[in-house]
Amino acid sequence: MSQQISVRIDNELYTATEGRTILQVAADNGRSIPTLCYLEGLSAPGSCRLCLVEVAGVGRLLPACTTPARSGMSVTTNSDALAHNRLMALELLFIERNHVCSVCVSNGHCELQSMAQRLGMTHVHLPYNFPRLPVDVSHPRFVLDHNRCILCSRCVRVCDEIEGAQVWDISARGINSMLVAELDRPWGEAQSCTSCGKCVQVCPTGALVEKGQAVEEMTKRNRIVTDLAVKRGART
Amino acid sequence: MPSPPLQLASGLDHEFVDNVLGKQQGRPGALLAILQQVQNHHPRKYLPLETLEYIGARTRIPLARIYSVATFFALFNLEPQGRNTISVCRGTACHTRGSRDLFVKLLMYYGFRTEGDAETDQLVVTTADGNMTLRTVACFGQCALAPVIEVNHAIFGHMNEPTLQRELDALAQQEPRI
Ligand code: SF4
Ligand code: FES
Ligand code: FES
Repeated sequence: MSQQISVRIDNELYTATEGRTILQVAADNGRSIPTLCYLEGLSAPGSCRLCLVEVAGVGRLLPACTTPARSGMSVTTNSDALAHNRLMALELLFIERNHVCSVCVSNGHCELQSMAQRLGMTHVHLPYNFPRLPVDVSHPRFVLDHNRCILCSRCVRVCDEIEGAQVWDISARGINSMLVAELDRPWGEAQSCTSCGKCVQVCPTGALVEKGQAVEEMTKRNRIVTDLAVKRGART
Repeated sequence: MPSPPLQLASGLDHEFVDNVLGKQQGRPGALLAILQQVQNHHPRKYLPLETLEYIGARTRIPLARIYSVATFFALFNLEPQGRNTISVCRGTACHTRGSRDLFVKLLMYYGFRTEGDAETDQLVVTTADGNMTLRTVACFGQCALAPVIEVNHAIFGHMNEPTLQRELDALAQQEPRI
């Protein structure tokens, strides 16, 4: 049996199973830490930096989604500095591409949008990039709109870890990073795609959506993927 | 599902690729070594998409993964490279010492448009005749010699317009190298 440890989160003492992340321990005890790239049931890349927390005695912020809770740890999930950091990370996501909620099929059902509301983002402090990005409509059932992609890699991971098709990956790096199907093929020509639609369901924004949806109509069910992962024995 | 075509782009040697694949099979980090050796073997020093597809079919490494690796490292080229290469450092030290102007001069000399393109920090362009590739580099690590330019593997520090022009003239004199 795994060992039980005690962890302090925001001054409350909790008992947890060793090996669980700070994020999981917090969630087990009804505490929600902001996340975007993380999705229960998939591996955690720790890339969005929204879940950063303070750990007493550690001189830098740590991502809650990838940091295992340790016995005697004292974690702070909310402080002015953290709020500032999270807002900054979120603003950088917003300025990078073209997130125009009013014309988006996912308006009202978008994790990026709700995160902005949750963190109280009213405006951004940096100029928008306004990149010119393509929209891939080559797939018979789905659309990939790069303008709305935040490069969270959930689609890459679900396709690899749950579906096993490995259609997606992130190409290049830095500001030039782009989601690609196979060798940067139009999605509709990707022979490894099984058209299962799992990537669409886990995409937090309107970047991957079903065809035939009008503004505000696209709702997602990422719970399906988490449940599937749990059935297959993922540690959640 | 039809299997991907197993032919290589012209200029690539089937046997060579198979050989590399055989030697690297199963080694950790094999993909990097495979891509590097295959690219080096190509007369135009690049990785045609057909080759990547072939490597994917043979190794069972997902195509998206191969593409991701091939585009992550500046070392790999997906376009045919010129017979000559000039690399201009666009790092901070070289930028403050005028590397941008030198790069613009080169772009103009070889007939590329200079607006917009000269601003991007990562640029690789090859002349239509395949003679010259111009590329920007993030930093050569020779900042004390800024601005630094590399002409066919020879590094020039404290580069200025007259010296650059002399090198360009020398290149123009050369027999075209095949
Ligand atoms: S398409 Fe969606 S799920 Fe995929 S990386 Fe972009 S935002 Fe994330
Ligand atoms: S949720 Fe932890 S880094 Fe994105
Ligand atoms: S900035 Fe040019 S060599 Fe370092």
